Amino acid sequence: MANIKRFTTVQRLSHFVLILTFMLLSVTGLAWMYIETGWGQGLANLFGGYIAVLEVHRITGLILLIGFALHIGYMLYNINWHGLPKSILGPDSLVFQKKDWLDFVQHLRWIVGLSKEPRFERWSWWEKFDYWAVWWGLLIVGVTGLMLYNPVLSSDYMPGWLLNIAVWVHRIEALLAMAHIFTIHFFVEHFRPRCFPFSATMFEGSKDIEHLRQEHPAWVERMEREGHLADVLVPPVPVPLRILHFVTGYALIALGVFLLVYAIINVTYLTLAF
Amino acid sequence: MHLRRNSRYLLTLLLCLGILMPAAVSAADEEHPYEAASSGYFRDQDILPGGYSLYRQDEAGRLWGGPSGGDIKRASFQADAHEGLDGYGRRSCVSCHETERYSLHTSRGNTSCVQCHRDKPIAGLYQYYSPMNPIRRHAYICAKCHEGSTASFATYVVHEPRPLKRDTAESFPLFYYAVWFMVILAVGVFAVFLPYVTLWGVRELIEMRSKGGGHNG
Ligand code: HEC
Ligand code: HEC
Ligand code: HEC
Repeated sequence: MANIKRFTTVQRLSHFVLILTFMLLSVTGLAWMYIETGWGQGLANLFGGYIAVLEVHRITGLILLIGFALHIGYMLYNINWHGLPKSILGPDSLVFQKKDWLDFVQHLRWIVGLSKEPRFERWSWWEKFDYWAVWWGLLIVGVTGLMLYNPVLSSDYMPGWLLNIAVWVHRIEALLAMAHIFTIHFFVEHFRPRCFPFSATMFEGSKDIEHLRQEHPAWVERMEREGHLADVLVPPVPVPLRILHFVTGYALIALGVFLLVYAIINVTYLTLAF
Repeated sequence: MHLRRNSRYLLTLLLCLGILMPAAVSAADEEHPYEAASSGYFRDQDILPGGYSLYRQDEAGRLWGGPSGGDIKRASFQADAHEGLDGYGRRSCVSCHETERYSLHTSRGNTSCVQCHRDKPIAGLYQYYSPMNPIRRHAYICAKCHEGSTASFATYVVHEPRPLKRDTAESFPLFYYAVWFMVILAVGVFAVFLPYVTLWGVRELIEMRSKGGGHNG
């Protein structure tokens, strides 16, 4: 049995850096937001208390933004500028196209049993959505985060009352991102029956061909038709590495679920007023 | 004997009070860690384009949906906002000012009311010599903890209104609409995806049951 290569090392590394910074920002951000509760103080103490946790949050945020800038550079570098606009509208592109919308509708109809399963190309509509959701999330959280990084400095360039708005927008977007990752993303990528208990594609870079025939049939067929399926076949990842991925993955999932559950339990103790 | 025991109680009580009282008073007047870290430096020159004017900030604020400055009462112009108020000395600030009880500064930044409302007696916000007067608020109040504070910075609304409340649409429109927009975005995402993925999971489960095995089987 063989695997099909799906992600390059740089892409996997980017995803892993995203995981690490996202988790660190979640922990420190929730510690900040929940500092009035014992849970929040406990989280903050892991980093050496309230003042320290704010500093860690700020610096991690900067690292994530630098990573985002690097990703944009990587993307611009990889675009085939001569072939525009066709080069970004092909089946390997993450840009939303008409087919994604049709796929989405058909997927919905398939779920309720009204139609056959859509035959996804390289990226399904939800994979594209997940990719662009990080963009939109990072733009919102990044801009407001930079505004709050040094409120005195930023109010040189805008009226100080924009900070009131920035705090809330930052907070709601961050909660949305965490809740989305810790429920919907985890479910779709790992807990959905076809992927359960763990889908390691983004860690290993490749996925078992049978699984891809089911999830991305149009992609596999296109490669077969064009005759370069053999170029993307790689051997399965060795077992010790797979165990490592599984354990790391589940540790991160557990952390996410822990944050989500405790954030919900403790929410009534917050004095934030909507 | 009887009297002596009483007076002993009294003495003990006084002693306790004597120990507790200064502590209680100084706890309120205590220096905030941020205060120790700030030199108190402030800037009167704003560098906002067009020269952010202190005297026109209300106008500018209204134009862009900023805060309207809240209610202005008679007390706002008094040198002692609590002049002639019954029971002022015996009650805590928040027992009268319930709406100002919680703010980011008090519930998270661990600042007490009097670390900002530090003049004695507390003057009305717009009294000419009040340290809270917007013409000097940044210098007399905010710079104590936020070094380099400017008038623009001091337009941050410390006691912000509840963002989702109807009244806020008038008192701070941009705040109201921005927060509502974010809430609708967040709720919308979950309203769509939670049912979606649940049904999706059920669909795959049914498919597997009928095929009698996993995707590899
Ligand atoms: C006995 C009730 C009471 C207590 C205790 C009290 N206040 Fe007040 N305060 C008032 C009233 C009444 C006003 C008049 C304005 C109003 O109606 O809101 C006022 C006005 C003010 C103002 C001026 C508002 C303006 O619009 O200019 C400030 C600032 C203020 N109080 C802060 C404090 C702080 C800080 C404390 C604690 C040290 C405190 N108050 C304790 C009742 C009280
Ligand atoms: C970080 C500094 C700060 C702290 C701490 C603070 N205030 Fe204020 N307070 C202000 C400012 C600035 C204003 C002017 C209006 C605004 O920005 O909300 C104000 C306004 C007020 C007013 C006038 C009515 C209004 O809301 O505009 C009252 C009453 C008041 N504060 C009471 C309190 C009480 C009671 C506490 C303690 C729970 C407190 N403040 C803590 C800075 C502070
Ligand atoms: C006694 C010290 C003190 C004073 C005086 C003070 N602040 Fe603060 N301020 C803090 C602390 C502590 C924080 C950090 C709170 C947090 O983010 O948890 C803070 C945070 C802030 C923030 C950033 C909010 C955020 O979420 O990062 C703004 C904006 C701000 N203060 C504005 C003001 C303004 C305007 C004034 C003057 C009216 C003022 N502060 C006076 C202590 C103070």
